[in-house]
Amino acid sequence: MKRPLLLIGAALLLLAIVLPLPPIRVYPVVAIDLVCFGLFAVSLDLLFGFVGLLSFGQAMFWGGGGYVTAILLARTQLDAVPALCIGVAYALVLAFVVGLISVRRSGIYFAMVTLGIAMIQYFCVFQMTDVTGGENGLSLSSRGHYFGLPLENDVAFYYILVAVVAISVWLTLRLVASPFGMVLRGMRENEQRMVALGYRVNRYKLAVFTIAGGLAGFAGALYALGNRLAGLDMVDWHTSGAVVMMTVLGGIGTIVGPIVGAGLFESLDYFVSKTPIGDKTNLVMGTIFALCVLLFRRGIVGELLAKLGRRAET
Amino acid sequence: MLRVVNFAHGTMYMLGAFATYYGAQELHLPFYAALIVAPVVVGAFGILLETTLLRRLYGLDPLYNLLLTFALTLVIEDLMRILAGPLGSPYSAPDALSGIVNLGFTLYPLYKLFVIIVALLVCAGTWWIVERSPVGARIRAATENPVLVRALGIDTRRLVTLTFGCGVALAALAGVLAAPTTNVQPSMGDSIIIYTFAIVVIGGLGSVLGSIVAGFALGVLQALGSVFYAPISTTLIFIVMVIVIVLRPAGLFGRAEGSR
Amino acid sequence: MRIHSSVPAALATALLVTSLGGPTPVAAADNGPIKIAVITDMSGVYSALSGPGAVDAVKMAVEDFGGKVLGRELVVDGIDHRNDGPTAAAKAREEFDSGAELALDLTNSATALAVDGVAKEKHKLEIVTGGASSALTNENCSKYTYHYAYDTYALAHSTGSYIAKTGGKTWYGFVANYAFGKQMLADFSAAIQPFGGSFIANSEIPLGTTDYSSYVIAAKNSHAQVLGLLNAGADTVNSMKAAHQFGLDHDMKIAVGLLFLSDVDALPDVFAGSRITTSWYWDEDKAARAWADRWSARNHGLRPTDIQAADYSAATQWLNAVKAVGSTDADKVVAYLDGRKFNDFYAHHGEWRARDHRVLHDMYVVDVLPKGEVKEPHAWFKILQTIPGEEAFRPVSQSKCVKDW
Repeated sequence: MKRPLLLIGAALLLLAIVLPLPPIRVYPVVAIDLVCFGLFAVSLDLLFGFVGLLSFGQAMFWGGGGYVTAILLARTQLDAVPALCIGVAYALVLAFVVGLISVRRSGIYFAMVTLGIAMIQYFCVFQMTDVTGGENGLSLSSRGHYFGLPLENDVAFYYILVAVVAISVWLTLRLVASPFGMVLRGMRENEQRMVALGYRVNRYKLAVFTIAGGLAGFAGALYALGNRLAGLDMVDWHTSGAVVMMTVLGGIGTIVGPIVGAGLFESLDYFVSKTPIGDKTNLVMGTIFALCVLLFRRGIVGELLAKLGRRAET
Repeated sequence: MLRVVNFAHGTMYMLGAFATYYGAQELHLPFYAALIVAPVVVGAFGILLETTLLRRLYGLDPLYNLLLTFALTLVIEDLMRILAGPLGSPYSAPDALSGIVNLGFTLYPLYKLFVIIVALLVCAGTWWIVERSPVGARIRAATENPVLVRALGIDTRRLVTLTFGCGVALAALAGVLAAPTTNVQPSMGDSIIIYTFAIVVIGGLGSVLGSIVAGFALGVLQALGSVFYAPISTTLIFIVMVIVIVLRPAGLFGRAEGSR
Repeated sequence: MRIHSSVPAALATALLVTSLGGPTPVAAADNGPIKIAVITDMSGVYSALSGPGAVDAVKMAVEDFGGKVLGRELVVDGIDHRNDGPTAAAKAREEFDSGAELALDLTNSATALAVDGVAKEKHKLEIVTGGASSALTNENCSKYTYHYAYDTYALAHSTGSYIAKTGGKTWYGFVANYAFGKQMLADFSAAIQPFGGSFIANSEIPLGTTDYSSYVIAAKNSHAQVLGLLNAGADTVNSMKAAHQFGLDHDMKIAVGLLFLSDVDALPDVFAGSRITTSWYWDEDKAARAWADRWSARNHGLRPTDIQAADYSAATQWLNAVKAVGSTDADKVVAYLDGRKFNDFYAHHGEWRARDHRVLHDMYVVDVLPKGEVKEPHAWFKILQTIPGEEAFRPVSQSKCVKDW
């Protein structure tokens, strides 16, 4: 099972590298967005695909990390990397606290708690106009510096981003393949059995929730940095909904699937907006997603893996 | 009750309001007639959705239904936006219901009084049907133990469809009542859906009484909030929801499931 | 493991590529077409006041100019920012990198501010017509941004001072709880104060509130003479509906902070009787009507809003400047425009104020007529007073703009 995942991962990395180059020539900031959303979707997959917890408030970590990083860069003298680290730290701590409250619940209750807390954070971000810029968002005049790396150059930033995200995804894959990951898979298949075997399932859930939150915060901080802008959309519940769609579209439980889902989702959004039906992106995305949920529940990569698995068996 | 997390519920509310508007525009449908016609029409649409789409996912994790209805929300809202435009469509209350009433301690619009009375009657009626009538007993039994109920010869699929249709019809009725006082626009369901979920969760899933009590209580809370610290008035619902889920995981009146 | 070994490869490639300077964005050759990027809300709540109608207005301007300037073809791009700051900024960047020399319209202050930053970065021009925030020429003033049509300060000072002068001294405010609403409150308070007016109380109402009952009751109990609706969009509609329901319009004068012709087109009964400020009205004089007739012929008989007219006017003025300067270079165009006075069918007594890049022109206080008094379709406004630009807009002496150019 692991081989195909790694192949897909490698193919994605290759695609990411050639994306801004001719002949594809994707605009660098657009490519940055694609990659950041990819990582964001991976974080949700960790939660949904491996523990079965559907968080409808994941944007609170994505946006929280993004805003904290942006606020530090805009309002203090901190440099890019320290600001990023603190942004991620905020997301980790927030995830831990929210996790403590929420992992005891499951299903719709869990989704609603995450949504509710996300809405409370939205309100705070919205109200604290002096700090966050309120509904005008926070603009960054520069991406800061780090050891002379040319962060201002969009293309350079993009490739550094690709490297960083690739490492993060690889680490996530390793986590999932580790004994820890095995426990998670056991919990997904039969939680009662794991409890009977003596595993403190809530602790594992809390751990995964915290890691997923931190990862989402990392992705969000990179996104804010890449766009030189943190806006309210980052903490809006519609963004939480969008990342759920990306993850399901790509394939739950595959880690690399959601990256495909995010890439597809964002590029569809981008290209559809250039067509005559450009203002009807919701219609298009909604229809595609509905079809996916009804017919291709395993998502693109999930279906692909299933086909490969079947071929290997014959 | 059905364990269908219908994200598209808000769009049903919106469709109820638009049915009222188009009914008046195209068919000169009076408001009182719309109170019956719109819920029936939208309820039928809901039943169509249930039988063609939602039914396929019943055997799976209920979260898939949530995802499907989320997708449907996007589609229906966008279609409505293409049809009606993003701005509001005009609709006013009938003249007989316009005007002010002096309640002694305050002046109050007659129309809002009408809405309060209708809402109370409908809520009471729904509670009675679900909790006290034979049909209600069958529905509750079917949601708790469908296999046994089927063994008794009752068609659970039809019960589920009927219940779903009624839920949608009630949402549409709310939309009809809202049309004169709220801007009738395609996104009106979007703003209301997450609050609706919060209220249902606070009241407790599966409990009609819970939803009614929570709904009214939170409405009052929101109004109080608007007096003391208005900016937070719409966020209060979520604060209450988080507190309730932490303290009483199944909601105020709900059955203890989905918690550990 | 494959991924493990490809990470160093990725890093190496990255360094190699950046050392080569990376792929260049598709830059327009010096005799390629000149693009005007009309960045607006094409499908959402602001699409009627600006949107496709505004893009068409700019196309009209380009056609009237001859389709070319400096021997190069002119192209108009209509871009949907979907009311999202990051989207607007990203699309603006893309447009600037592919031959756009002007970003126009920017309806929605968050997008105007987001693109403001991009324009500064790329040294290209942004002319904001639809966006409202007076911060664009105040704390956020910039060499590369002009604020063309209206702003919150002008709205407040025209509507507010007129009503305060004519008997509305005590005000109750419905303040939408976000930057726009609060800015309006600050601007209105300052506007009515010299005439003895003041806000005796306010409600800070969350965006998207649908039930205004408690706020309306509070307003009634305050016995104020004027209800100030310092909000926009659906919030204005819902508060107006509530005000009508409770019969508030019989007791108080309703001042609507922000309203456009397209809003009244959509909901005439709701807005009848409100008093507002606009930067232009299609039936204000012969020249305005003549232009409006041409626009209407291309737009299904609708009538243009002041923003759509502003877009035509701004585009034409910019093209004139480019022709006069002989270049699209933003620095040269700014040097040409700064301090220049002009007049056209949209801007009467217009001036490109050099100090803060606020464009001055006459503003109009109007009443919204009820359906019964309207003489022809879309003729909703009745002009009560003309307010000269120097009075309507923020005086330079009060400006917080730090001019760094």
